[in-house]
Amino acid sequence: MNATRPLPNVGMPDDPDYEEKLAQFEARIARGEKIEPGDWMPYEYRRQLIRMISQHAHSEVVGMLPEGAWITRAPTLRRKLILIAKVQDEAGHGQYLYHAAESLGVDREELIDLLLAGKAKYSSVFNYPTLTWADIGMIGWLVDGAAIKNQTMLAHCSYGPYSRAMVRICAEETFHYKQGKEMITLYAQGTPEQQRMAQDALNRWWWPALMMFGPHDTDSPNTPVLMRWGIKTKSNDTLRQEFIDEIVPEFLEIGLAIPDPELRWDEESGHWISGPIDWDEFWRVVRGNGPMNRARMAARRQAHEEGRWVREAMVAYANRRMAVGS
Amino acid sequence: MNDTQWPRYEVFKQDKPHKPHEAVGTVHAPDPEMALQNARDVYVRRPDCHSLWVAPEDAVFKMTAYELEQDPNWHVETIPEDAPEQTYLVFTRQHHRRSMVAASHVGEVQARTPREALRRAMEQAAWTSKPVYLWWIVPQAAITASQEEDAPSMFAPAQDKTYRDQSYYKGILFGKHLQKKHAKSSPTGKKAS
Repeated sequence: MNATRPLPNVGMPDDPDYEEKLAQFEARIARGEKIEPGDWMPYEYRRQLIRMISQHAHSEVVGMLPEGAWITRAPTLRRKLILIAKVQDEAGHGQYLYHAAESLGVDREELIDLLLAGKAKYSSVFNYPTLTWADIGMIGWLVDGAAIKNQTMLAHCSYGPYSRAMVRICAEETFHYKQGKEMITLYAQGTPEQQRMAQDALNRWWWPALMMFGPHDTDSPNTPVLMRWGIKTKSNDTLRQEFIDEIVPEFLEIGLAIPDPELRWDEESGHWISGPIDWDEFWRVVRGNGPMNRARMAARRQAHEEGRWVREAMVAYANRRMAVGS
Repeated sequence: MNDTQWPRYEVFKQDKPHKPHEAVGTVHAPDPEMALQNARDVYVRRPDCHSLWVAPEDAVFKMTAYELEQDPNWHVETIPEDAPEQTYLVFTRQHHRRSMVAASHVGEVQARTPREALRRAMEQAAWTSKPVYLWWIVPQAAITASQEEDAPSMFAPAQDKTYRDQSYYKGILFGKHLQKKHAKSSPTGKKAS
């Protein structure tokens, strides 16, 4: 997070009452209380939340692009209505999250400016291209499925505004996941070409989806403090494993193959054990060198510029009304 | 700060006529009318909205139980003698459950300042039978409400969009039993390529 404006300088470890306040704060979290904007919180809690919530907001906004590209090419009116509704939801989810971040002392505008300047992170899964219509179904089932896994956990977050945004998002995202599952299930039982498209989509999205849970716990320096303060309640690897265990049997049931030659069922632990994740690729994409990073940012900037006249018209209208005194 | 920032408005949504208005989140807008439109787009993509209110966020006086406890003198203020009474709306939250709502409308008090309104709200036995974790006090004069005649154009379109609901896709669900069924099958079987 590179906020252009300093955060409230409270909750610093060298404050004289820090230890006492921290003990109260941690006791409140242990009791299951929600922390609200006016409450005392450690500076580091505020900083970590802004970092996470803003990345999450940016992911919703950039996440509109891979799917939005297919609205004009939807095969039926029904599928088109569903896809438009889904992309509208992502726009709304971005707003819920920017507003949750604002409750911590940053402005939406500065966060959006950081995104447009290419200085903000967002989920690297959106830097992969959507090559066929089957990708729309696979994103719903696999990518949104992974996102929901993470968001269901975050709905238990100790920070009230983030938790509330997550509960609302989870309730809405469920249809994103279901429509994708429906589409891929039908394709897997469809013509040989449809089956091939569904398998091809799974082959390309499987690994990026597993990477969405973030680095292994051993390489995730923020995890201990996030779990200590109830921002996260499960680690990256725990969530990833739960997701693999749930989704592998479902893909197998409809006759798709998982593109991981090392994936195996481990009787003893009762888990599906996946092969190694290519973290070099993950970091390459995070650092801006994925297949679509530049195209995504160019599309965002274009949309922002092309919407400028609307924003200006809204302000002109508001000013005029104020002058007329209506 | 005049490109996308604009003032923030709190949004209060009423799902059905007999239900309270609930604080669902905020929007940015250059004026209250636009705030109402943005609130509709951001918070009413699905059925069940009867009425929307917006109020400038800086007009909403918010206190948490923790803040009240930390500052025993929170109510101390000098009220000018000729300050007129006005109507304040009171919102509370009385639980820590998972919820998408910050606070719900419980009623009104007459007072001269938001702090006085909060003091009077705290005297209402019906509102404090359970501990209140969050108090919001909103001057009625600060609220812009959706009008009855606008409801069909603002809220009715969402009612037909049943495909936004997960129940529209029922019949394709898989149970937990699959976990075991596929335990011995080859995950990279016939179609891997």
